[in-house]
Amino acid sequence: MLKWIGAFCIVLACTLTGFHFARRLSDRTAQLRSLLMCFQMLETEITYGSTPLETAFAKISRQDPGPIGRLFAACSHYLHHLDGVTTFECWQKAMNEVTPSLALKKSEQEWLRHVGKTIGTSDREDQRKHIRLLMTHLEKAEQEARDEQQKHEKMYKTLGVLSGLIIVILML
Amino acid sequence: MDGHILACLPQRLKDVFRKCSPVDLQGLEEIRIRVQRPVEVLIGSRSCFITPDGECTPDWRKGIVTTIEDGQKMLNQISRHSLYALEEELRRGYITIRGGHRVGITGRAVVEGGKVKLLKDIQSFNLRMARELKGVAAPVLPRLLESGRFGNTLIISPPGCGKTTLLRDIARCLSYGMRDFSLKGLKIGIVDERSEIASCMDGIPQNDLGPRADVLDACPKAEGMMMLIRSMSPDVIVCDEIGSLDDAQAVLEAMHAGVAILVSAHGHSLADVRERPSLRMLFEETVFERIMILSKRKGVGTVEGVFDGAGRRLADPAGKGIRHA
Repeated sequence: MLKWIGAFCIVLACTLTGFHFARRLSDRTAQLRSLLMCFQMLETEITYGSTPLETAFAKISRQDPGPIGRLFAACSHYLHHLDGVTTFECWQKAMNEVTPSLALKKSEQEWLRHVGKTIGTSDREDQRKHIRLLMTHLEKAEQEARDEQQKHEKMYKTLGVLSGLIIVILML
Repeated sequence: MDGHILACLPQRLKDVFRKCSPVDLQGLEEIRIRVQRPVEVLIGSRSCFITPDGECTPDWRKGIVTTIEDGQKMLNQISRHSLYALEEELRRGYITIRGGHRVGITGRAVVEGGKVKLLKDIQSFNLRMARELKGVAAPVLPRLLESGRFGNTLIISPPGCGKTTLLRDIARCLSYGMRDFSLKGLKIGIVDERSEIASCMDGIPQNDLGPRADVLDACPKAEGMMMLIRSMSPDVIVCDEIGSLDDAQAVLEAMHAGVAILVSAHGHSLADVRERPSLRMLFEETVFERIMILSKRKGVGTVEGVFDGAGRRLADPAGKGIRHA
């Protein structure tokens, strides 16, 4: 009896691990997509509306319920409440807060972090350039993430279940 | 001290100013912050330096010295982390903040095609307190009315004699209406090219202009006057510092459209302005029914005289207070 309970636990754990990895893949695609959307909005707010960052970020954060929205919301909050702090420091603080729930790769997180250095510090034309540059990076990453998701999502799930079963069979 | 002014300062300086006694800062006109130099304040026309303990001293050596970082933080606070929203302001060299105060800046100019594109490496900030003087128009208003109607008025004044302040207060009184002269409130259209009359921030007037004023903020004067006539059907158009031929044409146009005009121009006397080539046609057509001349002779805002369209001086009836309708 105890043996069966143990076996069940192993299969369950392996399945969940498989699902977790699969989930990370789909999360990454979703987060990259919402980043794209948010920066698209930011570009409009900056170049067309000349909206101050704080207001623009707050507006953007309302469009996205996920961690990306939280990133903008936190940064907007810091911009408003922290006194005499640079824009980059606010962005960095907000980034640190949401990093645990980001499914992005290291390099993507670096780009995102980097954009905080330039945001708000130059004229509209220059801001547009920086945002565009980030968006081309993100677009490429999103394409790649989608391919990867299609290829590997199912595999991770089945691999999880099967590896659990193998371990159990070997041990029985 | 005004909270809006404090909000532009970096924390360190904010703390120092909080230590200052309000008596010392009575009549504060300017705070001048220069990177790596002591903080200067102008009280009345007296120059003082603020010590780290929040005292005022004439000795600049004792003043608290600002750092490069302070300067950057200040720019961040003033721009609300969004320099791109201040493109026009960085070109003009001053920024209007909440409360209608003005921050003048100097730094390195970036030139493109022979024109200043923006200022960078901002080194000096001059925070000028805006003071809305309500009621300054009271003594002169009766003389501006022609049998109970507001006539086209020109205010002539050298810089710094309270021309804009007076213009704003007249506009405010007209917008509220005046019970004492049985003048109903009028629809006021204000073209505020330099954001000085209404001191708009994000399009919202920071000064009290009464319930019937519409403001075209940062809009070129001539174009703005035409826009107002077409879109807002104002009773009175208010405009500061007319000077170009286009401005004069727009004023004429407004007059022919049946809109009363309240404008100001730089000059010391009626003859000065009358001879200006660009404004001459306004006098040829006797546009103005009232012309007021200001000076600094007995302090800012001294009214040297009010004349009618033919250049005759009008008697000064004892001015009485104004009650809004």
